[in-house]
Amino acid sequence: MSFAKPTHLSRDQIDTLGHELDAIRASVMNTLGQADVDHMRRMIAICRASEVGGRALLHFGVGPLSWVAGVLALANAKTLDNMEIGHNVMHGQYDWTGDPALNSQTFEWDIACDGEQWRHSHNVTHHTYTNILGKDRDLGYSLLRVTGAQRWKPRHWLQPIANLLLAMGFQYGVGSHDLELGKYKHGAIPKPVFKERLNRFLSKTAKQWFKDYALFPALALWSAPRVLAGNFCANLIRNLWTYVVIFCGHFTEGVSIYREEDTRNETRGDWYLRQLQGSSNLTGGRVFHIMTGHLSHQIEHHLFPDMPAHRYVEIAPQVQALCAKYGLFYNTGSLWKQYGTVLKRLFTHTLPPKPQTLGA
Amino acid sequence: MTLTATSDTPVAPNTRLGAATQAVAAFFQHPWVAGIVRLSAVEDSLRLLHPMLSLTQPRARVVRIVHETADTKTFVLQPNALWHGRRTALAGQYVQLQLEINGRQVQRLYSISSTPGARCFAITVKRQPGGLVSHYLHAQVKVGDVWAVGQPEGSFVLPATLPPKLLLLSAGSGITPVMAMLKDLQARRYPGDVVFLHVCRNPGELIFAKRLQAIAAQYPELSVVTHFDDISGRFGPEALQLAVPDVAERSTYLCGPSGLMDAIHQHWQAQAYTAPLHSERFVAFPLLPSSAPGTPVNVSLASSGTQFVTQGNAPLLVQAENAGLNPKHGCRIGICRSCQCTKRSGTVENLQTGELSSAPNEAIRLCISVARSDVTLLL
Ligand code: FES
Repeated sequence: MSFAKPTHLSRDQIDTLGHELDAIRASVMNTLGQADVDHMRRMIAICRASEVGGRALLHFGVGPLSWVAGVLALANAKTLDNMEIGHNVMHGQYDWTGDPALNSQTFEWDIACDGEQWRHSHNVTHHTYTNILGKDRDLGYSLLRVTGAQRWKPRHWLQPIANLLLAMGFQYGVGSHDLELGKYKHGAIPKPVFKERLNRFLSKTAKQWFKDYALFPALALWSAPRVLAGNFCANLIRNLWTYVVIFCGHFTEGVSIYREEDTRNETRGDWYLRQLQGSSNLTGGRVFHIMTGHLSHQIEHHLFPDMPAHRYVEIAPQVQALCAKYGLFYNTGSLWKQYGTVLKRLFTHTLPPKPQTLGA
Repeated sequence: MTLTATSDTPVAPNTRLGAATQAVAAFFQHPWVAGIVRLSAVEDSLRLLHPMLSLTQPRARVVRIVHETADTKTFVLQPNALWHGRRTALAGQYVQLQLEINGRQVQRLYSISSTPGARCFAITVKRQPGGLVSHYLHAQVKVGDVWAVGQPEGSFVLPATLPPKLLLLSAGSGITPVMAMLKDLQARRYPGDVVFLHVCRNPGELIFAKRLQAIAAQYPELSVVTHFDDISGRFGPEALQLAVPDVAERSTYLCGPSGLMDAIHQHWQAQAYTAPLHSERFVAFPLLPSSAPGTPVNVSLASSGTQFVTQGNAPLLVQAENAGLNPKHGCRIGICRSCQCTKRSGTVENLQTGELSSAPNEAIRLCISVARSDVTLLL
């Protein structure tokens, strides 16, 4: 894969596309109301009930069945808290309500990633510089080579293993993202700044570990191993799930990668176009969409990151129709199909490039 | 006195339950505990158990709705343990109500119209034409609804030692704080001479008519005077002088529409009355007119105490930077919300949507907002 080809659309067309997308946005944003808040509160209620229930099953249940149920309930709570609640609230999708419990700038979630650091690495870096090589650090999480445009290094031979490890410990990948380790190593970040960031990351991780692997097991007395293992598995399930969903959002076959110099002086229309061509969707039912935090509508999410995510479902057909009208690729498919193409890309780029395909 | 949004400084609760609740909340706010169990998650769970349960938020439930007149209702509210007004509220004070109207949190201040010290407290609301909150309160609210409420506040109160002669003067819905004062006087068995003068359009609009009658019947020192504009013409200083000849000697408590209040204040000054005139003005948050692009407007930053004048079309973020400040920011194109801050008051235009908004205490993004009136930012 190489850089995005210059678009076949004229300047006027790009501007019109921008206005049409603005109109779609306005049609939803002007109708925000009680139903949207009710949806979020329902999600929070389900999440909290699921967490309390899951922990109760792990602590007081007997036998393997209740353990499995407890793990699933806790994994469900952690996934909802991470995806449908935390991710969306921290994007500011509910700031218009004025409810302090749903405020993007103060919300904190139940994962190893510190909220403030995520707001920077995700909201600022990833959403502003989506798929710009060298600027969007979500591109391969600076760890993996997902495009031929990234330089191949011998460590990429280990890419399949690195990928597996990243998947299993995804929350730490996300959490350490804002440290910008690579930049620090090249001396681009002063030591005190890096130290400060590292402390923040470590302190959040320590708290998460203390909670899931020390405090709650200790509270369970003789059931400690059962609780510890249950918490570990719940975290693992959530990590794997969020990894798969997020990788399907930008690393599938057909998404465009951009060069920094091509994205200078972008208009709003250009920006929309880059978001549209740099993201990919997943098909599925309502529950599936909720469990992905509606990142199954990654395209709509990247176009309108502060629109309450449960509304993406209703605008997706309009966005898709616009794509058809302008001859743009609306990248969507089932989880299996999309993740299959992600794996294919990962494995393809594990290998060093053949000299003749360089720059193709 | 102008009332704007109240501060929510925590005050020690007077009940044991309230103190215990605050101690538990403080425990959850400890950095280590907060890192493990988020207070917000605890609050969510408590709310699920019962809407009145909270560790941090005084809340109150509507237990009764009384129809006072065709367009006025009294809401009797039962507070939870975190509301300490039962011990601390003074007649004439107000509370902030936090309501959720179509998903949005809206705050308004209302005078307490009930006698201080009772288990429940009441607010009395007149439906205002086009009023978002008063309309909602009248049309949507049912017994059993729960609202977040603030603690009693305000300095429009009767003194501990009462003067020998009083005038409680109100117009329209301004009757609510002085009604609480009157009930308080009755409860304190005030031996002095009190005139209660209320102005409204016609007898049908007289709020608390029955209550007033009942109090007057038991309270010989009280004289209730009513002035109906529709019958006796517009009320003003002359009418006041006629109705209360000894007004100059009375400590006066005044609450009503601004026009009337201004007239009475001027009269007081012109006549050089020495008896004190206390008044309270409820300013509905004004919908400031927006000025055309290019008009100089004042931007005040409440936290840092700086101020600057802008007239350009550049976003507030750029304007603040030009003024030598360095507000937090990220993308500069309205996506990341790093630059989000609370706008206390004023009108801003959203550069992306062209939308104007003047709601108080609204979160705005500095990088895509321009000032279209004087604005105050919490920055
Ligand atoms: S700087 Fe990103 S929204 Fe303003």
